[in-house]
Amino acid sequence: MVINSDRILETLIEGGADYCDVRKEKWDEMSMDLKDGEIERMTRGVERGAMVRVLYEGGWGSVGTSDLDSMDEAAERSISIAKSSNEFKKEETGLADTEVQKDEVEIEMDEDPQNVPAEEKISFLRNLEDKLDVDFVDSTELRYREAVVEKEIYSSEGTKLRMKIPRIITSITVTGKGKSIQRASESTGGTGGYELMKGAYEKTDIVLDRLKSLLEADTPPSGTFPLIMDPDLAGVFVHEAFGHAAEGDLVSSGNSCLEGKLGEMVAAENVTIRDDPTMDGYGHFPYDDEGTKAQNRVLVKDGKLNDFILDRESAWKLGIEPNGGARAEDFRVKPLVRMSNTVVEPGEMKRDELFEEVDRGVYAKSSSGGQVNPAEGTFQFNAQEAYLVKDGEIVKPLRDVSFNGFTLETLRNVVGLTDELETGAGYCGKGQLARVSHGGPHVLISEVTVGGRE
Amino acid sequence: MSDEVLESVKEAVERVRGSGMEGDVYAVKGRYVTFSIKKGEISDSSEYVDVGLGIRVIKDDKIGFGYCVPGEEGEGVAKAAELSKFSGEIGISLPSDEDMPNPEINDKMLRQTVKNSEGAELTQKMIDGASGAADDVIPTRGDLTLSLATRIVGNTEGLLVKERGTHVSGSVTASIDLGMNSLQAEEIRVSRRLDIDFEGLGSRAGEKVDSMRDSSKILNGNYPVVVSPNALAQLLGFGMLPAINGEKVRKGKSVYRDKLGEKVTTGTLSMRDDPTLDWSIGGGAFDDEGVTSGSTSIISHGVLDNFIYNLKDGAKSDAETTANGVRDSFRSPPDTKHRNVVLRGEGNCVCELMPDKGVYVDNVLGAHTTNPVNGDFSVVANPAWLVDGGEKKGRIDGLMISGNLPEVLKSVWLADNYKKCYKKIGSQGIIIEAPTARLNNVTLSGK
Repeated sequence: MVINSDRILETLIEGGADYCDVRKEKWDEMSMDLKDGEIERMTRGVERGAMVRVLYEGGWGSVGTSDLDSMDEAAERSISIAKSSNEFKKEETGLADTEVQKDEVEIEMDEDPQNVPAEEKISFLRNLEDKLDVDFVDSTELRYREAVVEKEIYSSEGTKLRMKIPRIITSITVTGKGKSIQRASESTGGTGGYELMKGAYEKTDIVLDRLKSLLEADTPPSGTFPLIMDPDLAGVFVHEAFGHAAEGDLVSSGNSCLEGKLGEMVAAENVTIRDDPTMDGYGHFPYDDEGTKAQNRVLVKDGKLNDFILDRESAWKLGIEPNGGARAEDFRVKPLVRMSNTVVEPGEMKRDELFEEVDRGVYAKSSSGGQVNPAEGTFQFNAQEAYLVKDGEIVKPLRDVSFNGFTLETLRNVVGLTDELETGAGYCGKGQLARVSHGGPHVLISEVTVGGRE
Repeated sequence: MSDEVLESVKEAVERVRGSGMEGDVYAVKGRYVTFSIKKGEISDSSEYVDVGLGIRVIKDDKIGFGYCVPGEEGEGVAKAAELSKFSGEIGISLPSDEDMPNPEINDKMLRQTVKNSEGAELTQKMIDGASGAADDVIPTRGDLTLSLATRIVGNTEGLLVKERGTHVSGSVTASIDLGMNSLQAEEIRVSRRLDIDFEGLGSRAGEKVDSMRDSSKILNGNYPVVVSPNALAQLLGFGMLPAINGEKVRKGKSVYRDKLGEKVTTGTLSMRDDPTLDWSIGGGAFDDEGVTSGSTSIISHGVLDNFIYNLKDGAKSDAETTANGVRDSFRSPPDTKHRNVVLRGEGNCVCELMPDKGVYVDNVLGAHTTNPVNGDFSVVANPAWLVDGGEKKGRIDGLMISGNLPEVLKSVWLADNYKKCYKKIGSQGIIIEAPTARLNNVTLSGK
């Protein structure tokens, strides 16, 4: 089915739209789960669909559909639902200017995953599983996901973009029983081809070491302690606790503790945080889903709030330049302001120097999830793996360590960063799913509340 | 259009059968309309129409899965057949055609509201309700989603079942700006019918945040914690329900392994998974594999009765399916998941649960970080209030509650105020009907 985007856009503008765009997508996805030696799930499918988005008399209406035969109807409905909500609207919204783009981009890959036979992918997972065959592992779970999306974006301002973006990820989870039943997991992935999966092999040693430690671990003490976060956890922390609060739609709608703080110190002087869709990572893209060229956003520079992540609407509301922050999960939904690859920049300390700063504290590695309230500026995280640190030395493993605090207070309490940078891949949920990367160095925070049972 | 989808399901089933395989086809056709709230007004409206088929084929006891849109059934079947070569052998018996009850919840008023893309007025009611709580209360976030969907399951055993359904959900986050940061409180309601009091929903969010202005000092140590139905549902959803999944039990990833028939909670607690109730969000006449729905007792007076299974996981454990085959979408094969969880027990008045010194918690942050294997949790109570002399006092910030849920449930006290709480557990939204409860063996920490 060929969509005549020009005609749809023209009809909408003639019908009174201030602005409109059409985003057409084709998703070709494959998934494979190998659990305890058995292929439990293999799926393959192709989907096509499109979204029409219209700004009509200062209000938005968007319609997504997988029925490409009904695009004219979708366009009509986008106007009608914009009208229905405009009846209750007090203030009109708008779009900040952005450069009209005409481009075709294909993300480079050494090996197209769609050309790799299923047998080879299964062998890859089985090889990983073989490396997990040790006596303290009771159960293994390996997941492989690939998605190749072909995207076209057309706007009433003249933007015409075609992109082909492949993304691939593998996750490894092991479970065992020691002092308690525990599990450990790691993933590797990025934007690119099948060659990215080579990184999965080194993850098997990490999950085995992690599980072995957890099986001997005790519950953590409760109270306030210095906390060392490893690069993965530091990355997840800045993504969740700070990055969401820096999303322009939350800032401009009274849902962020960073509102009105541009140019103010929001972290210790040694902290620089950026969100960069142009760097390699699972969150890489050349243009966002409004057609704005992707760019590096330095959110915090030497402790000072420097920028937000912005789509065109939030940039218009805040009176600043948009910077390519609009992302949609797929053609069904409108773009939201989302992160991409979020990192805290390295410092200058060596790892042993950082540990020497801690008399009694907790070393937490890798995240098993967390939750934030960007408006209240509060967060909660769990570490997959943790240790009690005394006099700069790791003394014993801890399990199910959770910590919380106030985002800005915690960022002001950053007292050390090592000179390394590691990144990991994952997913971010904000009503829609986005593929993202996160990372940083080891980070020492002088005071964090740890929730324990002792 | 749903007739077209029905024909597509028949076509796909015939193609599976014609290729000498067994299999089933799940299809959904839905329309979903959303009105979003930002900063005290409707910010935008959106809609999507979704249609597709998930095709599962079984050849020599090997399963393959593919998905496609109507009109591309041949391609979908071919993909599924190709992938089936790599599967392990699992013998499953697909359900055959039978008389099914028809508890179809197809609210005409809601259906009409979706078709006409109406809903802005209902959204405005939520805004007005929240804003009316106090001059400085603003509904900064929220949305109203209305949907109507038809799901169809057909298989090579002759089964062909179709069910239309309607849903509505409303959520409002009400905020008070304190300058350096904000206070926030959220209310959510979900229903199969257009019977939600939207203005009341907004009011409750507004009144809740209005009640959070005064603060109290934090409590550290071991004190009783009274949790709202919402907070209890949140803890159960992530700390207990995963351990009831039969496949996780088979693989040793559950604290309830080898505990069938044993007492695992306080004797006043009973729990069942009942998708046959007409308010059930995940309910209906059949599950996503076409198996007739039924009520499954999980815990009866503290004793563990059953685990839940779909067809495949049941076959692996030599157990019958409990009609808990649930799909995230047509793009996913069915997993074993809860559909509608109902707690029951001998309850007390909430006032009898309030301790002399302790905490009352309305919601928790980070319940999804609960260790799903052993039930260890450490969550932030937000919002939470100090309880002194049996009365709620000021708000407490930054309080962490830690414990082990299976252990906590052995000494939990339940109230009699059962509420239907909508929870998103991973990618799945379900209702957990739960009461206020008092947790007696948890640790509090904070600064």
